[in-house]
Amino acid sequence: MINELPKMTMAQAINAALRDAMTADESVVMFGEDVGTLGGVFRVTDGLTRDFGENRCFDTPLAESGIVGLAIGMAMNGMRPVVEMQFDAFAYPAFEQITSHVAKMSNRTRGRLRMPLVIRIPYAGGIGGVEHHCDSSEVYYAHTPGLTVVAPATNTDAYGLLRASIESPDPVIFLEPKRQYFSREEVDLTSAVPPIGRAVVRRPGRDATLIAYGPSVPVAITAAEQAAAEGRDIGVVDLRSIVPFDDETVCAEVRRTGRAVVVAESAGFASVASEIVARVTERCFHHLEAPIGRVTGFDIPYPPPKLERHFLPGVDRILDAVDALQWEPTAAPVMS
Amino acid sequence: MSADLLARAMTATRVLDEAGRLLRGVETPDGAMLLDGYRRLILARRLNDQAGALVRQGRLAVYPSSRGQEACQIACATVLADRDWLFPTYRDAAAICARGVDPVEVLTLLRGDWHCGYDPVEHRVAPQATPLATQLLHAVGVAHAATLRGEDTVVMALCGDGATSEGDFHEACNFAAVFAAPVVFFVQNNKYAISVPLARQSVAPSLAAKAVGYGMPGIRVDGNDLAALNLVLGEAVARARSGGGPSLIEADTYRIEAHTNADDATRYRTDDEVAEWVARDPLSRLRTYLTGVGVLDESQEQEFAAQAEEMAAQIRAGVGAETSVNPDDLFAHVYTSLTPQLIEQRAALRNELTLEEAS
Amino acid sequence: MTLQTFTLPDLGEGLAEADLIRWLVDAGDTVAVDAPVAEVETAKATIEVPSPFSGVVAQLHGDAGATIAVGSPLISIDDGAGSAEEERTGSGNVLIGYGTTAGSPSRRPRGSRPTGDPATSTPSTPATAARDTTAHRSGSPNRPAVQSPIVRNLARNRGIDLESLVGTGPGGLITRPDVESATPSSDRTAAIAAAPDPQGSALAVGADADRRTGLPVRDRVPIRGVRKAIISTLTRSRAEIPDATTWVDVDATALFDWRTSLSERGEAPGVLAILARFVVAGLARFPELNARVDTDRQEIVLLDGVNLGIAAQTERGLVVPAVRDAHKLGMRGLHAEIKRLTAAAREGSVTAGELTSGSFTLNNYGILGVDGSAAIINHPEVAILGLGRIMPRPWVVDGAIVVRQIAQLSLVFDHRVCDGGTAGGFLRFVADAIENPMSALAEL
Repeated sequence: MINELPKMTMAQAINAALRDAMTADESVVMFGEDVGTLGGVFRVTDGLTRDFGENRCFDTPLAESGIVGLAIGMAMNGMRPVVEMQFDAFAYPAFEQITSHVAKMSNRTRGRLRMPLVIRIPYAGGIGGVEHHCDSSEVYYAHTPGLTVVAPATNTDAYGLLRASIESPDPVIFLEPKRQYFSREEVDLTSAVPPIGRAVVRRPGRDATLIAYGPSVPVAITAAEQAAAEGRDIGVVDLRSIVPFDDETVCAEVRRTGRAVVVAESAGFASVASEIVARVTERCFHHLEAPIGRVTGFDIPYPPPKLERHFLPGVDRILDAVDALQWEPTAAPVMS
Repeated sequence: MSADLLARAMTATRVLDEAGRLLRGVETPDGAMLLDGYRRLILARRLNDQAGALVRQGRLAVYPSSRGQEACQIACATVLADRDWLFPTYRDAAAICARGVDPVEVLTLLRGDWHCGYDPVEHRVAPQATPLATQLLHAVGVAHAATLRGEDTVVMALCGDGATSEGDFHEACNFAAVFAAPVVFFVQNNKYAISVPLARQSVAPSLAAKAVGYGMPGIRVDGNDLAALNLVLGEAVARARSGGGPSLIEADTYRIEAHTNADDATRYRTDDEVAEWVARDPLSRLRTYLTGVGVLDESQEQEFAAQAEEMAAQIRAGVGAETSVNPDDLFAHVYTSLTPQLIEQRAALRNELTLEEAS
Repeated sequence: MTLQTFTLPDLGEGLAEADLIRWLVDAGDTVAVDAPVAEVETAKATIEVPSPFSGVVAQLHGDAGATIAVGSPLISIDDGAGSAEEERTGSGNVLIGYGTTAGSPSRRPRGSRPTGDPATSTPSTPATAARDTTAHRSGSPNRPAVQSPIVRNLARNRGIDLESLVGTGPGGLITRPDVESATPSSDRTAAIAAAPDPQGSALAVGADADRRTGLPVRDRVPIRGVRKAIISTLTRSRAEIPDATTWVDVDATALFDWRTSLSERGEAPGVLAILARFVVAGLARFPELNARVDTDRQEIVLLDGVNLGIAAQTERGLVVPAVRDAHKLGMRGLHAEIKRLTAAAREGSVTAGELTSGSFTLNNYGILGVDGSAAIINHPEVAILGLGRIMPRPWVVDGAIVVRQIAQLSLVFDHRVCDGGTAGGFLRFVADAIENPMSALAEL
């Protein structure tokens, strides 16, 4: 007999993951701006200070570089810090610490000083936010060797992948699609912790493959459902991790269908989507019926709320890209 | 802010004057301790000179010398207990050696074999890196973790006058003060950041005075007076250890050599200025004092010189020895386990090397 | 004791030389390690150079005031325990490192690079090989792996089922030649001008029973050498040239009579030589048929003069040696050359130059006993004239049926270079010359 799964928002799923991680391992600490008493601007850390005390979940002065630098030192001295950058673009002052030290410390010391820390970053748009609050900056982290970059798309994965990220001996950039903080889904807290670096086929397909991560996955699934009504069988691959990238799963799907479109919210030029197209083309070229398409944001700074809907990849734009994949009107005659 | 605190941040604490005489009203320092300190100064000076020669002979890629700053180098290391941590900059090789790390290991970075040649966990010395002031935050993190776990650990965090302009210096001081972290921020003010003199770096009344803004003690000290340094740094460490929080110590000293061997210091300072500071050499000042009070004699000088020469010979042999670097190491420690992509790339490089060897 | 020579090391950014200001030691002095031996001045600073060796100074390389290049000898020291001296050239020390090195190492040999999925630029390792499931085998769940989308399209356009092919590329990759040599479901009327290939069809499909027919395979003939070259040229010709054919029956009786009268006075030139002379004359009047199509420059290149290819059937296949400068030879000259070339072709002693220098081809398939042919143009030529059997046939002359020597001339031409008017004009010219050789003399 299967019990009904509890329904919770992504914010609640992340909260549960933090709780369970902090309970399981007392070296796990959570800090950042407004995460303590307030419980976070999105209530993701709600109640942690109350339940675990100020030594386990606390507020820092307003200094992002300081937050990450502090985490580095604490990781050097045996702790497993989880820090929050309040919004995606607010992480930029911490860039030096992330790229010069978080990413390099293990390599610099031949593995003697590992960085078992997690940097949680709410990212992407769709919340009608004013400037600076809806950036997708994942490509900078993906491009930095030494970092692991995780991008859950479902609430269950937010729980599981955060547990996995905290347990990882390596530093993880954990990207939380902030528009899903409020979306309620069934969440299975007991399912096995998914491995970092493995994508998952959300929906198998025969005719074409949509490759997406984070907030673009639900959009891709909706597009695939609509396409099914129009007679096309389209699959969706949810990357789950951007780095390490799961070449095997993605390419197996693309080799089967011969047609693919990558969907991602960030500006397209020199993006994660670009890397996906390049590596999948290299590995699957001989099976392709058409070039791999991309549906991404325009190469512009993130727009103001009233123009946001023109920027974000939507179902129509995705299906247009699928239509452009060089379909045949009829199949070629087959030898009888 | 009390006048006394501000005074200590402005007027450099001194024990010995520039002629090597004990200042009036100052407690007599421990002779045996100072004698050992002098021995260490000799070793530090020899390290600086030997490393400089090795660069000119093409055996090291670069050496940022701390000649003239040896008193700072020795004091900041010797006031620490084994369980404490040292966070050096790229100029603090002498301090790291004073902490007990093999000089050849310390020089591995500068020979170009790898980014860090010593085990930071074993020695509790953070790796050296180029970015300025970023490691100060790491120092605060180590200290704060110790506090949270109830461990007795003090962290000595080094930086120069130039680094005090970086944002991370400010953030580190602020975090440390707010968290009352057991950190000693030790600023070696050697008057230059490559070619930029102090006057262009800050117009604060002194660098130690910045501590006022953070709510922690700031103390200025004569950076060429080993006895004064021992006193001031020792106090700061003790304060941190007893839960008194962080301090900012500014040492007034001078970088006798250029930024590194490939820098031409004559472009931005005069020989006269350098000569002034050579006259304030920390070794000669201490020698004069110790000889004067009968603690140091000729046979001990020779003994110390022999130790220094033995160390130098080991350094020459170690640095000059043939080492091989293993290209596989490029991939080995980026992550705990190699990703599929790194496995492919390592295989590709191995293949290239096999072809190279075959030809 | 060994002599150690210390070269002038790099002393600063980009410096290539230094001036020796003064020596601090003399030959014969004992020096310790790191003792300064010389004072040198660079563009940037004055520097004391320390000795890396201890020992006795053997030789000072240069006088005070001399300019010494970086990397050249500075001082030689007799040293018992030599230490390795590093020589570097290049920029010299830079602020933060060794600087650049001069001279790149010689190129290493290129490894064989496996192509095809996955990770085409890396060799297979056990780790990646285990995950290589992409090679196409019939019946595998993957779609067939094809060299490029263009080739995939080619297969589609020709109605070839990729599943039926066994690819000859790495890992079973289906390549362009695989597609081009495959037989599609509908028959192609690709008749080849030469006799049917005595070596048999090189089309091999499936394992040792033919997939399509179920018949056992009798023989497998590899496509190599001359056959391979022929296939390549013919395939290319058919693929690129939009050709058209026009033909005419000619009454060669008058030509035969004329030839008979010539032979009474000695050896007469052969029919082929005579035809060749008429063809060369015709090409002077219709130069478009003696041309090249240069698609890169979008030009039709008309040639001045004719190298006349004569199609010859040999044991190894159809070859077309060319008579160079045929326009300069009379009938007898053409006769001698044609005889020489066809003999050489049969022996296999024709040169490559002779085989590839033709500008127009003459194809006498009549000797094979057939009348007509829509031949394949010998790419990159633009036309080919074929001559069938010359045989007595009923013909109408002046309203009566008589027996005449009739042959069919067939002209296949590249329709890009000219239209039917030109082609017909040329064909008519040659036919007229055959039918009325005496009048033709006026035109030659």
